[in-house]
Amino acid sequence: MITLKNLTKKFGSFTAVDDLSLAVPEGEFFGFLGPNGAGKTTTIKMMTGLFTPTSGSIVINGYDVQKNPLEAKSTFGYIPDQPFLYDKLTGREFLFYIGGLFNMPKEECRREIEQLIEHFEIGDWVDKRTEEYSQGMRQRITITAAFLHNPRTIIIDEPMVGLDPRSARIVKDSLKTKSKEGVSIFMSTHSLEMVEELCDRIGIIKEGRLIFLDSRENLHHHKSKYDGRLESVFLELTK
Amino acid sequence: MRKFFHIVTFKNRMFWKVTFSRSAQSVIKNTGSFIVYGSFAIGAFFFSRFLTAYLLENVRIGLFLFHRFMSMLFFVFFVTINLGNMVVSFSTLYRSPEVNFMLTKPVPHLTIFIIKFLDNFFYSSGTLFLAGFSVLLGYGSYFGFPWHFYVFVMFGVLVPFMFLAGCTAVIILLGLMKLASKVNFKTLVAALVIFYIAQIYFYFDVSSPIHLVREVMRYYPNVDLYLGQLDPPVSKYMPNFWISQIFFFYIAGNHGTVVGYFSLLLLSTAAAFIALVVVGDRLFYSTWLTSLSFKSFSIKNFELTGNIFSFRSRSRLSPQTESLLKREYWQFFRDPSQWIHLLVMLFLVGIFLSSVTSMDFGLQDPKLRTAVYLVVYIFDAFLITSIALRFAFPMMSLEGDAYWTIRSSPIRPSKVYWTKFFVVLWPLFILGLTLAVLSNYPYILLPPLPQVATVEMALIAVSLVSLNFGLGSYFANYDEKNPIRIASSQGATLTFLLSIVLLVLLVGVFFFPILAVFNSIYFQIPRKDSWLYDALAIVGVFSAFVAAVAHSVGVRALRRDI
Repeated sequence: MITLKNLTKKFGSFTAVDDLSLAVPEGEFFGFLGPNGAGKTTTIKMMTGLFTPTSGSIVINGYDVQKNPLEAKSTFGYIPDQPFLYDKLTGREFLFYIGGLFNMPKEECRREIEQLIEHFEIGDWVDKRTEEYSQGMRQRITITAAFLHNPRTIIIDEPMVGLDPRSARIVKDSLKTKSKEGVSIFMSTHSLEMVEELCDRIGIIKEGRLIFLDSRENLHHHKSKYDGRLESVFLELTK
Repeated sequence: MRKFFHIVTFKNRMFWKVTFSRSAQSVIKNTGSFIVYGSFAIGAFFFSRFLTAYLLENVRIGLFLFHRFMSMLFFVFFVTINLGNMVVSFSTLYRSPEVNFMLTKPVPHLTIFIIKFLDNFFYSSGTLFLAGFSVLLGYGSYFGFPWHFYVFVMFGVLVPFMFLAGCTAVIILLGLMKLASKVNFKTLVAALVIFYIAQIYFYFDVSSPIHLVREVMRYYPNVDLYLGQLDPPVSKYMPNFWISQIFFFYIAGNHGTVVGYFSLLLLSTAAAFIALVVVGDRLFYSTWLTSLSFKSFSIKNFELTGNIFSFRSRSRLSPQTESLLKREYWQFFRDPSQWIHLLVMLFLVGIFLSSVTSMDFGLQDPKLRTAVYLVVYIFDAFLITSIALRFAFPMMSLEGDAYWTIRSSPIRPSKVYWTKFFVVLWPLFILGLTLAVLSNYPYILLPPLPQVATVEMALIAVSLVSLNFGLGSYFANYDEKNPIRIASSQGATLTFLLSIVLLVLLVGVFFFPILAVFNSIYFQIPRKDSWLYDALAIVGVFSAFVAAVAHSVGVRALRRDI
């Protein structure tokens, strides 16, 4: 469950996110779209504690991110747009490290890691140092790390960057399954196909303001006004 | 050449925009830097002027010996610039994303090489230039030289000298990188370290300061004469010697010899630059390709498993602390640039300690004994400062781009801060105590001096590590991966200068109490030990204040947007 209320972020005189309000209930797969520089990553960075909002509030699973950051953070998993890892650790060590930050008991952490390694098919290279990894391999490790502590919410910024088709399929299926299990998913992406395939509801942000918010079903209605393609709706709304 | 100037123009533009941005933070930072750099330069100027006057008027060592000491200092200066440029060049030439980017563009390899060399030279030599020039200004002002002397010193002497050191450093680096494709890289690094240590040892062995002093003093009181017959033949081929000759003959009014040595310096610098261009043209790209294979090499050789730092091992610590500590351990010991540098520094500390503990000064004069005691003590603190700057300052920056893992996890930033601080504090604290205990060994029969000095060093170690770690967090640059570059950044230089001021103040507090100790021995009067305790209390309060301010600034900085 995510609630953004009158969220604003200013960098000097520039307003990156402007009075954004929306709610993502439990089990919903929410797609967050927008052109480059619209404020998607800034919004996500505020939600995950990387940026401090100028004003407004963010409540995740009942915890205000500003007032109770530790409680809020323990309930969500985050997949950043750039999968930066600690170069000198192996993928498995990185996962243990993340498990530790989330205060996971060692045995539980070990068990979860083994299961996720198998699930995401990363066993062949998970014991190599991450400095050797390709972009896609790094991305798969950050996705695995986000699943590790069984979060109630997953926040994703561009999940498919660098993933090969098989890995992309595994990730999509995993996210969909999580959503069905009651996990709310907040996903920022440029992939309109993915939004159409996975998301229950879609929001479009432009110049920091939410300009479109509706369900996938209603989106078909909007699409029919154009040429039946989501791309046309997106281009028209964001032009 | 058009491409060269095109790239330089844009780099220049970027530099000015970043350095002199109009944001409040930037203005405060630049004003602070200006004050600290300015104070340091003024301090160095007066110190140099005072020292020149003291040596020539009070100790009366004479112009010849004075300039030979100057030559030795310039030798150390040359080696420092040389090593600094070599270490930083490795990262700017072979590990820089900018080089990777430019190599994919239709830019000649040589252009990239020269741009990065110049970039590196100005980046790593700025502070040394400021220090060198301030010292020479103080020296020149003692002799009352006219204004054009300083212009000549700056552009005709100091810049060519430093440039020569930079060029030779990068030529050696390229040679090493070429050899690295055939010889084990670790062996090469070890050979280089041994080469530099041997070079310093050989130089001081040949130029033997003690022997030189004895020989010069035979001519007393005619010690201002030129006694070139006492110079070892090998020194005449060294640039530091040429510089000391330029200054000596400038004072003597022998302008013909000045021009001769000046020409020699300029020609050597020009020759070194031409050699650099030729070698760079031939070797830069091929060695850049070679450097790509180093990563996999280091991985095979430094893998350690099955110890208590393994992530699989159980621990009594909390999961968060355990994770942070284990990650710090592996990040450090799997990075050769970290542990090799640590070993070299510890080796130098070892050499220093072995000489200090076996030193018998045999001095009687209380002022001289106090001066010697404080010089050794300041050097102890200086070693801690250098190691703290190299290892404590970059610690937070080395979180790098992966810092998002901490900021998005349920862990307090202050917990991360303190865990990392204690990781770097305890080894430096133990080192500080070791330095204090061993350098006070000759004074073991003068209690409570060694005991108080040891406690004071512990306090100084805490305040210096706090200052470096706190300001390192404040100036954290998560985009820079190379710890050596982080430790030579503008913020690091500022911190270093503040550390020097701090350690001089903290040690300076002990001047009168220690003088009182040696006076009591010399004049056989009752001791005033309470002065030592009073000084210790002042150091304690001041250290606590510095540490508190540094930590406050550091912890707050962790909450900034990333």
